[in-house]
Amino acid sequence: MSNHSLLRKDQLEVSLHNEKKLIEEGVLKEDNPLDLTEDFRRLCEASRRGDLKVCQEMIQEGANINAKDQYDYTPLILASLCGHYETVQLLLESGALCERDTFQGERCLYNALNDRIRNLLLSYDYSKSTDPLQPLAAHLTSLLYRQQPRTCDLTVAAGNDKDPFELHKFILAARSPYFKKKLDTAPETTAWKLPSSIPQQSFGIALKHLYLGELPRELGGGPGTGFSDSEILAGVDRISKHLEIKNLSELILDNSDRRLARQRRQDDVQFGVSQLDAWFRNNVLYHAIEIETSKANDVKWDRVNGIFADILLRADDDEDEDEDGDIVQKLTGDTNVSTNALGIPLGTGTPSRSPSRSRSVRKSKLYPCHKAMLIRSEFFMTMFDSHFKEAQDTPHLQIIPIDCSPAVLEIILAFLYSERSDFGLDIAIDVLFASDMLFLEKLKTKAAVIISTLGNGTATGMQDQLQRDDVDLDIYEILRAAWTTRVQRLEEFAARYFAYRLEQYIDEPAFAEIVKESAGRIQARQETDTIEILDDIKYYLSERFRLRFEDTGFDEALAAEEQAQHVELQNIPNIGDFETSKKPAGVPTDEGVDMSSPPRELEHEVPPQQEVSLEHEGIIRTLDGEVAGDEFEQDAMNYQILLGKIDTLLDQLKLDA
Amino acid sequence: MIGAGRGRGRIRAPRRLTMNLPLRQAFTKDEVDFEQTWEVLHKAFREIHARNASNLSFEELFRNAYKLVLKKKGDFLFEKVKQLEIDVLDNNVRTQVRRLATPTILITDTNDSSSIERRAAGEKFMLQLTKSFQEHATEAGMITDVLMYMDRISTSEGRKTSVYTVALALFRERVLQATANDELAVTILELLEHIILETIALERSGEMVDRPLIKASCRMLENLYESLNEQESTRLYLTSFEPKFLDASREYYRNEGKMLVQEADATTFCSTARRRLKEEEDRCQQSLSTNTEPKIKSVVEQELVSAHITDVINLPGTGVKNMLDNDKMEDLQNMYELVKRVDSRLKPLRDAVHKRILELGNEINTSANQIATEPPSKARQEKKDTESKGKDKPAPAKQLSQQTVAAINWVEEVLKLKTKYDKISERAFRSDNVMEKALEVSFQDFINENSRSPEFLSLFLDQYLKSSGKDKSEAEVDTLLDNGVTLVQYLADKDVLETYYHKHMAKRLLMGKSISRDVERQMLVKMKMRLGNQFTSKMEGLLRDVELSENLTNGYREHMTKLGEGVTHKIDFEPSILTTTVWPITIPESDRACIFPKEVELVKESFEKYYLSKHTGRKLTWLPHMGDVTMRATYEKGAKPITYEISGPTYCMVILMLFNEHERLTFSEIQQLTNIPPDKVTQTLLSIAVAPKTRLLKKEPMSRDINPTDVFSYNEKFEHSFRKFKVALVSEQSNKVETAEQRKETQKKADDERGLAIDAAVVRIMKARKTLTHQQLMTETIDIMKSRFHPDVAMIKRKIESLIEREYLERGADSANPSYNYLA
Repeated sequence: MSNHSLLRKDQLEVSLHNEKKLIEEGVLKEDNPLDLTEDFRRLCEASRRGDLKVCQEMIQEGANINAKDQYDYTPLILASLCGHYETVQLLLESGALCERDTFQGERCLYNALNDRIRNLLLSYDYSKSTDPLQPLAAHLTSLLYRQQPRTCDLTVAAGNDKDPFELHKFILAARSPYFKKKLDTAPETTAWKLPSSIPQQSFGIALKHLYLGELPRELGGGPGTGFSDSEILAGVDRISKHLEIKNLSELILDNSDRRLARQRRQDDVQFGVSQLDAWFRNNVLYHAIEIETSKANDVKWDRVNGIFADILLRADDDEDEDEDGDIVQKLTGDTNVSTNALGIPLGTGTPSRSPSRSRSVRKSKLYPCHKAMLIRSEFFMTMFDSHFKEAQDTPHLQIIPIDCSPAVLEIILAFLYSERSDFGLDIAIDVLFASDMLFLEKLKTKAAVIISTLGNGTATGMQDQLQRDDVDLDIYEILRAAWTTRVQRLEEFAARYFAYRLEQYIDEPAFAEIVKESAGRIQARQETDTIEILDDIKYYLSERFRLRFEDTGFDEALAAEEQAQHVELQNIPNIGDFETSKKPAGVPTDEGVDMSSPPRELEHEVPPQQEVSLEHEGIIRTLDGEVAGDEFEQDAMNYQILLGKIDTLLDQLKLDA
Repeated sequence: MIGAGRGRGRIRAPRRLTMNLPLRQAFTKDEVDFEQTWEVLHKAFREIHARNASNLSFEELFRNAYKLVLKKKGDFLFEKVKQLEIDVLDNNVRTQVRRLATPTILITDTNDSSSIERRAAGEKFMLQLTKSFQEHATEAGMITDVLMYMDRISTSEGRKTSVYTVALALFRERVLQATANDELAVTILELLEHIILETIALERSGEMVDRPLIKASCRMLENLYESLNEQESTRLYLTSFEPKFLDASREYYRNEGKMLVQEADATTFCSTARRRLKEEEDRCQQSLSTNTEPKIKSVVEQELVSAHITDVINLPGTGVKNMLDNDKMEDLQNMYELVKRVDSRLKPLRDAVHKRILELGNEINTSANQIATEPPSKARQEKKDTESKGKDKPAPAKQLSQQTVAAINWVEEVLKLKTKYDKISERAFRSDNVMEKALEVSFQDFINENSRSPEFLSLFLDQYLKSSGKDKSEAEVDTLLDNGVTLVQYLADKDVLETYYHKHMAKRLLMGKSISRDVERQMLVKMKMRLGNQFTSKMEGLLRDVELSENLTNGYREHMTKLGEGVTHKIDFEPSILTTTVWPITIPESDRACIFPKEVELVKESFEKYYLSKHTGRKLTWLPHMGDVTMRATYEKGAKPITYEISGPTYCMVILMLFNEHERLTFSEIQQLTNIPPDKVTQTLLSIAVAPKTRLLKKEPMSRDINPTDVFSYNEKFEHSFRKFKVALVSEQSNKVETAEQRKETQKKADDERGLAIDAAVVRIMKARKTLTHQQLMTETIDIMKSRFHPDVAMIKRKIESLIEREYLERGADSANPSYNYLA
């Protein structure tokens, strides 16, 4: 399928036909199943319009990102066809497939609106996009061989006593019902012996499977190893039956078809991760202890425990009881009204904590965890590999405080245990900080994505956004957080956010403050240096207004007008004529690309701007009076006014830019 | 949508730095107290340096450091840590090390008692220093772990140096590069290097030293850098220690080299040098750094090997000559390995071997030529004569093989030499290409020195291809022939060999002396492999003819049986049909007109008829002087007639048959009746009327010479001890070995052939190129001819001259730059 030469048309048809047959027989899974649900329709709609926020919401709702609509369009094809770069990026980052040599993949590439999008599509190959679970699987597999730091708690010696397997009880219990039963009855076991009738290699293969490793191509039998290949295979069969895991030998032998093998592997990993996830939920979360903070450090857990934890993580509730309580209430409230438009999805694993607790006593939560999983974070890796207190063996489990709220810790743990990262905007910033501290780049990126998409600052297709955003977001804090945690994406987001609502912020003292801060970020500032945030804002500001001008070919007119601005604007009627004559052509009725939104949105955006304008400058009023009917003209004026305000601000701050 | 009125709190960055753990409740809400936080870290770092870290909480320290960094205090923190490190290094580590840097270490007199003391002090110092370093590195590692977040941020902000790097650099700056002692003007680093070098010197002189300790010191130097950006090339080991070590080693080996050449023999020199190399290799692996290995080896090679190897090779008595002569494989191998190190072309060794082979080869040449060319001395001749009188038969054979003996002798000597050197090459020189080539050239040189080598070689091969080489087993003969063929490729004038071999082979085949045709064929295959198709094509023609003749004979016999004539003739006729151009036989006109006896003539005619019926348009020329005949003669001895079976040359039969009809014939009558050339008649008559054992005719008068007036008659009293015997042609020269005159003839023939070959080559070249300068034409021609012989430049010139005369070529217009044009 992926031989490098191009397929001829007839060959392509044959392979498509074969694929279809296999899918009908149920051997292969359809990559792009037909999906007629409402969520998916909305995802497609949003992809078409480039509405990042709705896209992100629908993805979080669990819409199948790789499904197709009744016209065989996938969201990715729609987004790339309509030229929404950011949307394409979001879809790809969330796991949308664009694979060369597949029908849908080639279609997507062929339809890309421009080279920039095409190159973006090409840069996301299979390994990057479709296997988000790969890092976790790789980590688990590496646990089988890792020597430092020591995380294993079970040794299984094979018949010949050399190279015993060093294993982790919790993984075995999570992955195999057999082991779970066996370990439940005797959780304190530290060593087993493998009956000599089972080839060591067979057990090794089964273990590798349990640890989500790829199945080997070579069985490792033959002369000198004591077993023949077929004996090993038989051993694998016996073990897999015993451990109640899938029939491994079949998988090993049936490794020929690459796509099938890949699909199997993906299923395997998915299943394994879901097992881990379930285990995490039923044990780690279930056994988490809530306790008064003052007593938290006195908790004694035995080293031998039913869930094989070897470390306790402690998270304290926020000091600010009011807010915390609010968040909890809000969370529960949200689950009830999950269908509403904001629809911040709750990570299904986040249990609603009881809001009814005494306000006077601070509580902490202790999570029994496994070092083996924690060391996915470099922070824990270094911690357990050092000579410090945490790395030492103690009779009771050590308690390590983590500087975040229990809710955030749960998200981090969920990520470490099962690669899940579903959380809402409400704690996104906390997650951002925590993951920054723990060096979890992926989670950090995810938090940034959530903030920048859900707290969307683009002006596309959101009528009520302005009011709502004001309440939801403290954009100053977000920008500062972006600087502190060095997330470029968030800086851009904040700049855009400011740009699209500049009239609201420009006069706030806090805005002046943040501009000053931005200027201060460049050390040993020269006069010629620019202020980053203002540059970005100006860029997005021009984007915000030019978007409209370009639609109607207004660019040249604008240039002329800029010069004429301080002069009396005598020729306005002319321009107006020009505009009105052009306008009908500016609203295309292309079916594939929904161009109807910008004008619509304009109408809604006008009033606040008008208000803002009216509030401040006297000139505006006269201008307003004259051009009230022509919103293009008004946009141009507003643009100039805002630029002027920025300059004034700079003068006040005595900064050059 | 959730409206503003819902009362939701703003999403905001959590107040990270005012966390609510009791520990930190002392902090004011938004300002982190740098001093206080630093105090916590400071105390912890002190504990770490006191190696008392087990009670410190990583999480707490990390959190504190993290907090400071978030509050943009990262740079202050970095500076503070640096200060702390400097303080610790200055006050703790350096003091400890200095305490052991006693002046005794540096004393350089060689007093025994003090040297032991000095050594002990040095080791103690080294131990302390490396221990300090390792501890410091571990501690710095722990601090770096705690400050991980700071390092991460700072690298992303452009400051590249991590805390660990700085801590190590500080160790270099504050400890290694500090003066060792108040009284001494050296730094600790210099002191350390001094000790290491001393220790290595001790080890070189054969003492046991503490290698792991040196290794630890070197590893320390390798882990420290001269600069903060940790470039490979600025490792302290490379910048400071290694040059000193190499200098010291250079000095040491320079002295040792001088001493060895003066005092030791070649064998000792070689083994010592190789041992030293091995020692240095071990030292690099076990106590220094593997990166130094090539460098120190090159020092040893330069100072010890390159500087002296030529002298050593030529050392009289123990040098390479002696090793070669006495097959000292090990020594030769040592020598080879050494020379190989310093000179991949192996020049000195090659020259020595070449010289020795030439010497030995020339000895062989001289001795062989002495046997061959110098005419057998009178005494020997006479002796042989008397011998030949005594026992008739073996004498001529022995005499004939006189030259063959020389040839065989020569070839065998050469082969012996070759075997010896092949063995040396294989065992001592590891079949090195360069050496094999040198050997080949050496052999070529001396073999071609001897102008008779092609003849010798051909004679040698002839000897063993003939059935007469009987004292050797088949396998032995086979290897001998193989070896002979290998020598063939050393020959420059292969065409001369070709001529000789061709001739010898023709004789073997005609006389039926060849061991078997298979062997001949194998021989040809072997030659073909080494010399190419062209060389053997003529010889293959010989074999083909012989086979064709056999078939023809059989065909003829069948034909005759059918006709029923074979019975009446009673002549068993075995013709050999030879293609004129293939066989190296000159046919004198006189030999063609022989008148055969009637019976024979009949057979001849019937065969001619048969042959021409098969191959029309061909001409058969009869060569009676080449043939053999076996006759039966019946003598009446009393009651019982005796029948002898006499075999001899065809002429012998022709003459004897005359006496079936004539009682007496004079010489001239015989000559007339048979039309055999007179010299051949004389020769034949000598063997059947004069030779004592085969006196089938009576001659009058009895004398040892044949005169035209002599009368011959049938000798009815003839007796012979065997029923079957052979009439040998009496001749004073050997069949196989040439006289000087014949040799000249062969040479001339070869020259002619060469001339033709050159002609052909020149024409071929010119036809392709149309125009060529003189020089180019010469080179190309020589190039082409090289595979067969080394053409003489003068000869090529002559040939070009003649081609111009024959209007194949013309001279180019420009006489200053001679060139030729091809004339179509």
